[in-house]
Amino acid sequence: MVNAIFILVIGLGAAFLLGFLRDKRKLAYVVTLAALVSMAWIAARWLLFFAVDGGARTEIFTAGTLPPFAINLHLGIAEAALMLLVILCGLFSAIYMQNTLMRLGRRMMSVLLVFVMSLCGIILTRDVFNLFVFFELAVIATAGLILLCEDKRTFAAGFKYLIISQIVSILLLVGIIFAYHASGSLNIDDMAAMSSGTLKGVGSLAFFLMLMAIMTEAKPFPANGWALDIYESAHPAFSALFSAAMAGAAAVYAIDKLLLIGASQWLPVVTAIGLLSFVAANLLALVQTNDRRTLGYSSVGQVGLILVVIGQRDILGEHYLYIVGGILLSHAVAKAGLYWLSGLLSQRKLTDWSALRGHPLLIFAFVSFVAMLTGLPPFPSFYAKWDLVMLLAAENRLWILALILIATLLEAGYLFRWFGYIIKREKETDKQILSLASHKLAVVLSTAVISWGLAYLWGELSAHGNLLYALPLLFALSFLLLDQLPARIKNSLSIAGMVAYFMVSYPTYDPLQLIFGAIFLLGSSVILLASYHVSGRRVGFYPSALLMFAGLTLLIVAKDAFHFFAAWEFLTIGSYFLILRGKHSEPHALSYVIFSLGGAFLILAGFALAAQGISPFPLESLAQVAKPIAPWVFLLLAIGFMTKTAVIGLHIWLPGAHAEAETDVSPMVSGILLKAGLFGLMVLLMNMGKQSLYGVELTYVMLWMGALSAFLGNLMAVFQEDAKRLLAYSSIGQMGYALFGLALMNQLGWLMALMFVINHYIYKSMLFLSIGGIAKRTGTRDMYKMGGLIALMPLSFIAVLIGIIAVSGVPPLSGFGGRWIFYNAILESEYRLPMMLIFISGPIAFLYLFRLIHTIFLGQLKDEHRQIKEAPFWILLPQMIYVVALMIFAVVPGLAMRHVDAYLSPFFEGQGLNWEGFTITSHYGYWSPVSIMIVVAVIFATLFAWLLFVNRKAQKVKQFNIVYSAERPFRPETTHFAWNFFAPYRKALGFLMQPYVTRFWETMMDLLHSIADLSRRFYTGNGQTYGIQLLAFVVIVYLFKMEF
Amino acid sequence: MVYVAMVTGFILILMGLYGALTNSNILRMIVAFSVANTGVNIVLVAVGYIDGRTAPILDAAVPVAEAAVRIIDPVPQALVLTAIVIGLGVTTLMLAYAYKLYEIKGTLDIAQFSELKW
Amino acid sequence: MIKRFIVLLFLLGLGLVFAGLLSGYSADNELNLTGRYYAEHTAQDIGAANIVTAIIVTYRGLDTLGEVTVLFLTATIVAVLLGRGVAQKGKSLQRDLPKSGELLTTGSFLLVPLILLLGAYVFINGHLTPGGGFQGGAIVASAILLMLLTDPLRHFSHRLISIIESISGLFFLGIGVLGIFLAGGFLDNRIFPIGEFGSLFSAGAIPVIYSLIGLKVGAEFSSMLVNFSETEGS
Repeated sequence: MVNAIFILVIGLGAAFLLGFLRDKRKLAYVVTLAALVSMAWIAARWLLFFAVDGGARTEIFTAGTLPPFAINLHLGIAEAALMLLVILCGLFSAIYMQNTLMRLGRRMMSVLLVFVMSLCGIILTRDVFNLFVFFELAVIATAGLILLCEDKRTFAAGFKYLIISQIVSILLLVGIIFAYHASGSLNIDDMAAMSSGTLKGVGSLAFFLMLMAIMTEAKPFPANGWALDIYESAHPAFSALFSAAMAGAAAVYAIDKLLLIGASQWLPVVTAIGLLSFVAANLLALVQTNDRRTLGYSSVGQVGLILVVIGQRDILGEHYLYIVGGILLSHAVAKAGLYWLSGLLSQRKLTDWSALRGHPLLIFAFVSFVAMLTGLPPFPSFYAKWDLVMLLAAENRLWILALILIATLLEAGYLFRWFGYIIKREKETDKQILSLASHKLAVVLSTAVISWGLAYLWGELSAHGNLLYALPLLFALSFLLLDQLPARIKNSLSIAGMVAYFMVSYPTYDPLQLIFGAIFLLGSSVILLASYHVSGRRVGFYPSALLMFAGLTLLIVAKDAFHFFAAWEFLTIGSYFLILRGKHSEPHALSYVIFSLGGAFLILAGFALAAQGISPFPLESLAQVAKPIAPWVFLLLAIGFMTKTAVIGLHIWLPGAHAEAETDVSPMVSGILLKAGLFGLMVLLMNMGKQSLYGVELTYVMLWMGALSAFLGNLMAVFQEDAKRLLAYSSIGQMGYALFGLALMNQLGWLMALMFVINHYIYKSMLFLSIGGIAKRTGTRDMYKMGGLIALMPLSFIAVLIGIIAVSGVPPLSGFGGRWIFYNAILESEYRLPMMLIFISGPIAFLYLFRLIHTIFLGQLKDEHRQIKEAPFWILLPQMIYVVALMIFAVVPGLAMRHVDAYLSPFFEGQGLNWEGFTITSHYGYWSPVSIMIVVAVIFATLFAWLLFVNRKAQKVKQFNIVYSAERPFRPETTHFAWNFFAPYRKALGFLMQPYVTRFWETMMDLLHSIADLSRRFYTGNGQTYGIQLLAFVVIVYLFKMEF
Repeated sequence: MVYVAMVTGFILILMGLYGALTNSNILRMIVAFSVANTGVNIVLVAVGYIDGRTAPILDAAVPVAEAAVRIIDPVPQALVLTAIVIGLGVTTLMLAYAYKLYEIKGTLDIAQFSELKW
Repeated sequence: MIKRFIVLLFLLGLGLVFAGLLSGYSADNELNLTGRYYAEHTAQDIGAANIVTAIIVTYRGLDTLGEVTVLFLTATIVAVLLGRGVAQKGKSLQRDLPKSGELLTTGSFLLVPLILLLGAYVFINGHLTPGGGFQGGAIVASAILLMLLTDPLRHFSHRLISIIESISGLFFLGIGVLGIFLAGGFLDNRIFPIGEFGSLFSAGAIPVIYSLIGLKVGAEFSSMLVNFSETEGS
């Protein structure tokens, strides 16, 4: 094995060697690359030695003398990995900057080499003064590398940095010399060994100065204005190095080393500074419009998070390396990747990134990086964050946990907003924004590959098992590779895959899983039939859709909290991509993903609180959660799940997201995705039962929320003009019913909720498809612009008619069955008041359902619609399947429900229904679907026959043929008015319709943005002010930590 | 003796920082930082000083055998040399930057170089 | 005004920290562990009479390597920074500089060789007397400064300077690496015999290394000076 000191020697030697190659730029460049490659090779060999062969950490002595009398270097797995990261980052940047380096010549190359070498030195050395020397080298090299950029403003940024580094070196030197005086050594391990005695008085103060100085290099808020200016103006490849290698690897590792001396009493300080940076940087990033500055803020935030982990290492124990490594590497790879990506664009506004559209590979890279930063599965940061949160909750450090999650949500907010810009913003076609040099492209794409490699690696190392082995997930990911195929082929493959997966796995499902599994897999296959109507390649659709279905499939089989949560994240992300595909869905998709991730974080916090460090935490153990925390766990999980079911108050994302989605996506996200929330609630209620907090029974609160959702959701649906929004609001109401049923906490309530799960899937998918088909033909979703379509689109009419009969719960269709069970359930419980609301919402539903038929299909045909045809075959096909399914389910609901009923019995004592033959009996009466069907059919047939008989002599009259009135109009007049149809009701009930909730959330967002906008003015741009801020930072921390 | 040097050093540091953080002229800032660096160097050597002892060079005056009781601590002396050189490097760099900044804007007022902010 | 007040306030805070250091400080009467080790072992292990030199070149040789690199880096960056935009060669003469006086010109003729000699003496004897590569290098560079003062437009070969810089740097590194193979580790000076204590050829590789450092430092300082002086008149 090569002595690791050669990493330093090669870097330095090559830098000196370049002095000879004054005019031979090509050769100089080759030497630079060769040096970096050989340094990387040494680091990689050592990493393998430690990781695979299990080698022990080694010491490297210099000068033939033992420490503390000579400088020594430590080399362990952490050092090897970090050095490899730093060197590879340098290598990639060197490749990336090929043209710039060739232009500027050998000098810049040697500065780059020294920079990388000095970062390795920072990582290796165990001597505080040596640390100072390497830091100064890195600082000076930074001041040199800043010049790589053409931007004149970089000079100012570099000077600001030099001001800061002067102050830093003053602090550091004073700290070092007094630490030396106190301990008689300059060796970190030596100081650490004697720290207990020396860390009082002078020693402690000295340590404080050293820590503050090194900490500044990690760019903590608020002493970091200079760093942001560098990030904004420097060459992106250098910013990548500066963020990923210097701040994100070398500086934080130096802090980690230094803390060996400071021991546990300084960990809270580091945690606090890290948390402040993480929260503040992500908050301020919300109002940035410059891409590189945004990345700079995100970088500050991520390094803050790493500092938090370092500060919490007293409780992380053996997981420390895994957690800090996961977060650190994720940040480094993602941030470097994003900076390199930014170098492909010539414009600096976030919205200019729309130029990436049309380059699926680049978008894939972007998504991977963003997912890595926000800690989404399957990336290392996800595993790390999970473990971190679990341990924090186990130690009751809930404030830290909460702040981490809030800041992560903020970060996800602006990163996903950015992604929305890429996908949805207008592309400026007249300007050539994107330039794709092959070497730059290679760097970006190999970074993306590395990110997935790390995802795999962290999965392998995880105690929870590798998420990437899950078959549904692999199936979804494989569509990334198949994305060049025509959409129809991919569609067939998806349907085949999902059906096959269901066939294979359904024997292992219990009845509850079976119902959800059938909807998630078979149900979505039926909806996918509609996707055949799209021709072309439909890039990005199938990976997203299948990711969502994979998440759903994994959700129902998840045994422990980790897998449940991972599946939850998968389905959230997949559905976000799907929703974002809609034409005008950018803001709606954003609010969807923010609410969903917010909900997901509540779920995460709930699980963490419940688990109390037990890992893996089986979902059944929710039942054993002890008293004082149980209701809180319940609360967190319930709110998390209810975010997904769009309970009133958390519903504002739903209408836009469902209405703006594509024709075949709306039924997926409405008919299928909403059920995930219900599934979560069932798991929760089944295991935790009734909980009360401060004397308030939480299920009772849920009951009210369900009732209110049903009532207000339906009411809002009534006043919609847009047919798809109407259906979306109706979903809120429907989910309210289901929530109400579950919250009743009796068997009938649950049965009814499950009935709703099935029914809602069928009729909502059907309605969304038919409305989607109609909207496709008419070119509008506003109902008042339609009319009289019954003759032109008879099949769609039938589907809508059957659909609304089912929704409204009148005989003979299965909606009635649901109602019947529902009323039985209500009679068994004693909650009369919310019951009233539920009763009222039934007739309200009629109001809007009626509009679907009346306004769209009846009345006068609009002039511009005379030529339209029936909806496309592939959109009609699933509707017809649903019609048949509804009929069957209406006649024999027992097929599915009796098994579920039996399955539920153990959870509730003896309140089940009696299933005999075709009749279902409860305490209050019986329901015989078959006889109802027969009765209704006979009545219908009789009336129909009578109608035919009465009208047998009727003569067909064209719409404008009004001969009997002796007048003939010359132009078509509209006689079918349907705009603001329920104006009288609006007058009466309008006060309920005020968008209080929307206003509340908008105010929250405005508030956040205003705070961010005000506080960022704190970075005045004046280098001197930055110096004062650094000084203030040090003094304030000192005042906080006075007990020296 | 040690205390005098140390207090002087600290005062120089504080003076230097005050100058660097209140003068808006870049050259003055650089000079002020040099003052502060000098202060740091004084503090460095002051820490290793032991009253009544001599420089750590072994010669006729300080025989090898008595070195341990005759000389002052050599470590701070070595450190200060490094610190001086590094300080010099940074100062040089700041001067070069100042030159470039002046070339760009024709002014040395630090407040004028704040296009990058927020 | 407010700014001054704020700065004063925070400096007061920093002063508190310093006061804490000062009040807690108790001057040693004895050498501490590290100092004692150097005092007792330097002579026989390293063979250098100047203990500080032994520490700088050998015990803390890695620091010194870094230090030399700092200068190298600074010189390089100053060259990039000032070379950038300072347009074309030869065009630098834009205004007439006042002639340097007779005294300066003649004086520099006399002094430059002496200064160079002194510089060389200082770095070669670094292990015996107060002095060494950095001091010697600075002295050498002062000769260059004197020449530049005499004739600000004098042209120095950047190429020569950078070759001296590179060669001395590489040799320094090379000797360091030899330490790994021939002695106890990187930068161990005992690759050559320690020699007789107190004589010029003693202390192993220290005189060699310090001379290389002297050359390198001299070259680097000169490079910075030359680069700065070339901005003159532009």
